Amino acid sequence: MRERLFLVLMYAVLGAFALFCFIPFWIVFINSFADESLLQTAGYQLLPSKFSLHAYKFLLSGKQVFLSYGITIFVTIAGTALGVLVTAAYAYTLSHRKVKYRHILSFLTFLTMLFGTGLVGFYILIANWLHLKDSVWALILPYLLNPFYAFILVSYYRTLPYELNEAATVDGANDIYIFFRIIWPISLPVIATVSLFYALQYWNDWYLSLLFIDNYKMLPLQMMIRQLMSNLNVMAYVGVSQTQYNVVLPTYGMQLAIVCITIGPIVFVYPFIQRYFIKGLTLGSVKG
Amino acid sequence: MERQRRFDLPFVRELSRNRYLYLLALPGIAFLIIFAYIPMLGHLLAFQNYRLSDGIWGSEWVGFKNFEFFFNGKDWLRVTVNTVFLNALFLVSGLGSAVVLAIFLNEVRNRLFKRITQSLVFLPYFISWLVVSMMASTLFSTSEGLINRALTFLGHEGVDWYLTPSVWPYILTVISAWKIAGYNSIILLAVIAGISSEYYESARIEGASRMQQMLYITLPLMRPTVMILTLLGIGRIFYGDFGMIYAIIGDNGVLFPTTDVIDTYAYRSLRQLGNFSMSSAVIVYQSCMGLVTILIFNAIARKVDADSRLF
Repeated sequence: MRERLFLVLMYAVLGAFALFCFIPFWIVFINSFADESLLQTAGYQLLPSKFSLHAYKFLLSGKQVFLSYGITIFVTIAGTALGVLVTAAYAYTLSHRKVKYRHILSFLTFLTMLFGTGLVGFYILIANWLHLKDSVWALILPYLLNPFYAFILVSYYRTLPYELNEAATVDGANDIYIFFRIIWPISLPVIATVSLFYALQYWNDWYLSLLFIDNYKMLPLQMMIRQLMSNLNVMAYVGVSQTQYNVVLPTYGMQLAIVCITIGPIVFVYPFIQRYFIKGLTLGSVKG
Repeated sequence: MERQRRFDLPFVRELSRNRYLYLLALPGIAFLIIFAYIPMLGHLLAFQNYRLSDGIWGSEWVGFKNFEFFFNGKDWLRVTVNTVFLNALFLVSGLGSAVVLAIFLNEVRNRLFKRITQSLVFLPYFISWLVVSMMASTLFSTSEGLINRALTFLGHEGVDWYLTPSVWPYILTVISAWKIAGYNSIILLAVIAGISSEYYESARIEGASRMQQMLYITLPLMRPTVMILTLLGIGRIFYGDFGMIYAIIGDNGVLFPTTDVIDTYAYRSLRQLGNFSMSSAVIVYQSCMGLVTILIFNAIARKVDADSRLF
């Protein structure tokens, strides 16, 4: 009997937590289709009574959303490709038992996880020494090597049989060749996992654009949310032609619409990519 | 002869023997030097009266003046207390709910229910804090927010949430658990999956109920991982979650008394006041506190349970 009661309680807690996680997504999604006048008078609702596509139409009739989308996509693709390449190669060296200094390198990498690099030095480096302000590279370069993802790869490479490499070495192949021709192909599942972690990080980032992008036209999607939440001159920002003075500005609807446009791709692919993330976390939790 | 010896240095020999491997690591090493270690030079600014035109080597050195200024003001105590208090709340709520989620999810036999629940609780990990901030405003905004609408509907008066500092530590705690519990629970589920089934079998033979198995097998065996996650959290207890706080609170000064953390304070000193040296002093202070904390707790962990230490 107690066992039974406990099971019911368990399912109830899990169900409640799942619902609790889901509701904010639902509110944002469904209200982005709500009629603007309804949003302004009745506020956000669990199920709006009047729908309209006005917010999306308005948003998509401007130029900014396409510019921002372009920047986000470019940063995500370029950042992920470069990041994975740098990280996978670096991690391979860290995991290789022939390398004498791998422990020192691991430790120096681990240290950067424990201590922040310091905002000021980081800011001066990017803005004043590398002169990357208002450059798309300021959004890419600082995230190329994430120690946590490097260690996921290290712990994976360690599980590979060392003979793979010995056989190739006997055949006279050098380590770069071995890495790209043998190690990389058999690591593809884990490399896919790490790529997705990088892609998510780049897609969701706004810290770098907050620090280094002053030209508001160049802001990625994430920052467009911020702009629409705070900007008074939305019309000019979104880039809608200024002749439509008579339309009601869908201020609330547009904030929700931009959120949906931003998280849309993630939520859409989420069911397919979820297991890669789970795998990554599982590998990462193996201490090594 | 001399030349021969220099070439025999073990360091050089190692580099040349594994030159291809070091070449593979080169971009990564360059990255760490440029983006992780060179910025540490920024800490020097804390001891200067830094001016952009003079640069880091030309600015005037002022010793501990910036620190004196920081510690003489009343902000340092506020941001320190807020940082530690909020992080402690986040750590406990995030891990606590994850432990419950993981144990319960592990017990669920209905596959569909398990998959859907797991997917939903993991979902918030995938969105940025700015999106979370927008979601929070749909709930807490004074006139349009769902919570105030519900309160009015029930005959209560709405609350000006964004003007009430005292509630925010708890709202932020709930939001933090909302975002991270699913992520943590997956790490813990992986640990549970690694527990040998023999333990459970012998427990069943002895007649242990599922609840007992949970309490006396699953929970204790999760302990090392929970300890490591706790230690990692404590090690970062002086590092505020800038992304979260700045996205949700932003520049809303009314809420600073309870939500301003070291990181947002340093950010404002740098970007809004343009005071590089002050910002740097705050960060040096933060790093020192962080270093001391991690050394202390690692030493304790090493004593108590050698498996749980970080290094």
